[in-house]
Amino acid sequence: MEPDKLVFVVDDDAPLRDSLADLLRSIGLRVETFASAQEFLQSKRPDMPSCLVLDVRLKGLSGLDLQKRLIAGDIEIPIIFITGHGDVPMTVQAMKAGAVEFLTKPFRDQDLLDAVQQALERDCKVRAQRAEIAELHSRFESLTPREREVMALVVAGLLNKQVAAELGTSEASVKVHRQHVMEKLGAGSLAELVRIADKLKIPTPT
Amino acid sequence: VTESAKSKNDVPLETSIPGGAVSLESILCTEELHRRPWRAPDHGRENRALVALVSALADSPGTILQTLAEEVLEVLQADSAGLSLLTNDEKRFYWAAIAGAWQPHIGGGTPRDFGPCGDVLDGNMPMLFTHWERRYPYLQSATPLAEEGLLVPFYVNGKAVGTIWAIAHHNRRKFDAEDLRLLESLSRFASTAYQAVASIDDLKFQIAEREKAETALQELAKGLEAKVRRLVDSNIIGIFIWGLDGRIIDANEAFLRVVGYDCEDLLSGRVSWRELTPDEWQASKERALAQLAATGVCDPFENEFFRKDGSRVPILLGAALFEEGRDEGVAFVLDLTERKLVAEEALRTSEERWRAVFDNSAIGVALTDLSGRLLATNSAYQKMLGYTEEEFGKVTFLELTHEDYREANWKLITELLEGKRKQFQIEKQYWRKDGSLIWVSNNVSLVPGTKSMPRFIMALSEDITARKQAEEAARASERRYHEVEMAHANRIATIGQLSASIAHEVNQPLASVVTSASACLRWLDTQKLDEARRSATRAMEEGHRASEIIGRIRALAKKAPPQKDWLDVNETIHDVIALARSEIQRNGVALETDLSEHVPLVLADRVELQQVILNLMMNAVEAMSGVSDGPRELLVRSGTDESEQVMISVQDSGPGIDPENLDHLFKAFYTTKPQGLGMGLAISRSIIEAHGGRLWATVNAPRGAVFQFVLPVGREQVA
Repeated sequence: MEPDKLVFVVDDDAPLRDSLADLLRSIGLRVETFASAQEFLQSKRPDMPSCLVLDVRLKGLSGLDLQKRLIAGDIEIPIIFITGHGDVPMTVQAMKAGAVEFLTKPFRDQDLLDAVQQALERDCKVRAQRAEIAELHSRFESLTPREREVMALVVAGLLNKQVAAELGTSEASVKVHRQHVMEKLGAGSLAELVRIADKLKIPTPT
Repeated sequence: VTESAKSKNDVPLETSIPGGAVSLESILCTEELHRRPWRAPDHGRENRALVALVSALADSPGTILQTLAEEVLEVLQADSAGLSLLTNDEKRFYWAAIAGAWQPHIGGGTPRDFGPCGDVLDGNMPMLFTHWERRYPYLQSATPLAEEGLLVPFYVNGKAVGTIWAIAHHNRRKFDAEDLRLLESLSRFASTAYQAVASIDDLKFQIAEREKAETALQELAKGLEAKVRRLVDSNIIGIFIWGLDGRIIDANEAFLRVVGYDCEDLLSGRVSWRELTPDEWQASKERALAQLAATGVCDPFENEFFRKDGSRVPILLGAALFEEGRDEGVAFVLDLTERKLVAEEALRTSEERWRAVFDNSAIGVALTDLSGRLLATNSAYQKMLGYTEEEFGKVTFLELTHEDYREANWKLITELLEGKRKQFQIEKQYWRKDGSLIWVSNNVSLVPGTKSMPRFIMALSEDITARKQAEEAARASERRYHEVEMAHANRIATIGQLSASIAHEVNQPLASVVTSASACLRWLDTQKLDEARRSATRAMEEGHRASEIIGRIRALAKKAPPQKDWLDVNETIHDVIALARSEIQRNGVALETDLSEHVPLVLADRVELQQVILNLMMNAVEAMSGVSDGPRELLVRSGTDESEQVMISVQDSGPGIDPENLDHLFKAFYTTKPQGLGMGLAISRSIIEAHGGRLWATVNAPRGAVFQFVLPVGREQVA
């Protein structure tokens, strides 16, 4: 069982929806099913690694429409599309918009399960990255304005002496600020600090 | 034979039969006379010939032989006729009188012992020759050649003195037994007449000395009365001398035999010839008397006399007034009893034969007067129409004819009466007495009238109902076959159009089957039997769902003759929606149904009904697919109309129909779609009409079109 991972199934064909849920549950996944895109949008979804198995052709809002809405709403969830017949332009559109897989009915069970596993892994990664960046941000927030200035110039490749000259202070005080920045952000080396700055997308002065 | 006579003879004298000549038998065909068809006796003509001979005897006895030849020619309708007499030295026959084609040969003759005349006298019997020149070569110069020659011996006072003959120069004239009878009759008469004119010696003298003979004949004519007396006394025909006052002045034995009186009865003056004639025969006698008064003679005419015993005798009567005084005359009477009997018998036999033909004919025969009133009908005709002969008497054939054919039929009758056509053939329908209709083929002609019968119309009528029905059945079956073919082609085309939709409808349950089956296996791997059972059950159900859809498509694609069952139209609508749903969705059309729960069952072919609904729905979807703005709504309804018929309508919100095109919509090959065949609506309409229903289109407000149809209701109701 992987109760910490959740698969959403949206399909207006009840028996197929039940079959999909059944298959996913048989390998120990948590599953939630919805008969329409609207139902899915209105639902309250738990914050945990998840993915969406979505029928392209739905009554009302179509699968592709739902994908657009999610992107527009900045809701990041990996999508596996299933469709009654291979429609090439539709497949291209869905994949460009970031779909994990596009399966044509009737599909092999393993293909679906592989796609779901892949989607969940991707979601896990994305979630981990998002958590790391959030942590770095909160740390970055704890820096004083002077420390942020020192950090920006250090990651831009300036020496302590040059930073002091730039800021009109002493080399010794720069050293102290630099020490505080490294400590607050948990960077063990200059290279590590540069990577963190990159993740935080701190603009580099030119 | 005189030198002058000899010089006229263009036939060389030959008395020996040349070598190689054919036998007598081979030029004879006398027996054939009795085998050939007889022509009917013409007694009037025969009697006129006799009268002519009597007249010749009275007026110019010298030409009696020529008159005889002419009468033979006339009565026998021969090409040549004549009289051969034996010369004094009995070595030759002398052609004493000839009429017709051989007239130029008059005065010629044949050898006594080597020629047809000699054969006839030797045999002492009539003979019929054919191409006698084959045996007697000298006759080759007697042209034109004789195809047939009929000869009878000519007797004077019981002694054969020559022959009377008739010749046909063409094979279109074949002598028959009646000709022989006539020739013998004329021969007998001539023989008697000749005896009255001259003795054998006179005759021989006349032959030897024609000039002298004529003089002698002139002298003989002076003593005519005595000679006429001879004719009278010969009692061949009844002769009596009469007065205009009714007296019978004199009569011969033959006359007495005819009327059954004896001499005293008549001469006593007790019997008036005027009273001998029954009332109904008076008119024809009066006509004869008028002619007699005007010309002195009357043509022989048929009459009847009372016999002494009160019975009647049919007679032929001819008379002439004597020149002097003009109040007396001579009349001859010929007893027609036997001939009448023969003629009546023949007539009756003939009548019976025709009656039997009429009655037993397998073909109906109807005779009508010129106004179409039925005069006579045979049993086949009566049976055909179910009327008795008496009932037919009250109607005209036009009243029996179906209204649709009366005008044309009467036009043809009119053309017949106007002589514009001799006959016509018409196929028409008759009303039978029981009110049913039959088909007949009639051959109609106008039968010309006779003296005693006005002209009438004859129809030969054949019942061709069975043939007509078979033809109609064949046509209907062909039409039906064609319709089934077209309907099938239309269904296949529609299925083609729906292929994407159908694939989706099939793949949906198949995906479900595969997925459920996979889940089932996985549950089994982990010993989760309840879950496994649930998955397997779903897989089975979904398998059925797929097969049902495939079954519907197979039914729709199958080409089978229509088969009517009691159907719930709502079920049929659901069947169709199941196939087209995906196609409707793909075109962004919202489908709504408004199906009445209380729709009666209809007797219809399921596949054909599905086809009609599918056609209407697909048309609606296509019509709306071209609409870029506004809603795309398809509404399918079922219900009943005010007359309780089942009504189904398909309504769309498309561009609608130009009211001008409402009429064309249902015609074959009418289409507004670039890829359409234009058959869908025409086929749909013919299907609905074949079910006794109606399909039509109306304009929908504010936009779109409504196609609806009604079907007659069965007795059973949906529970």
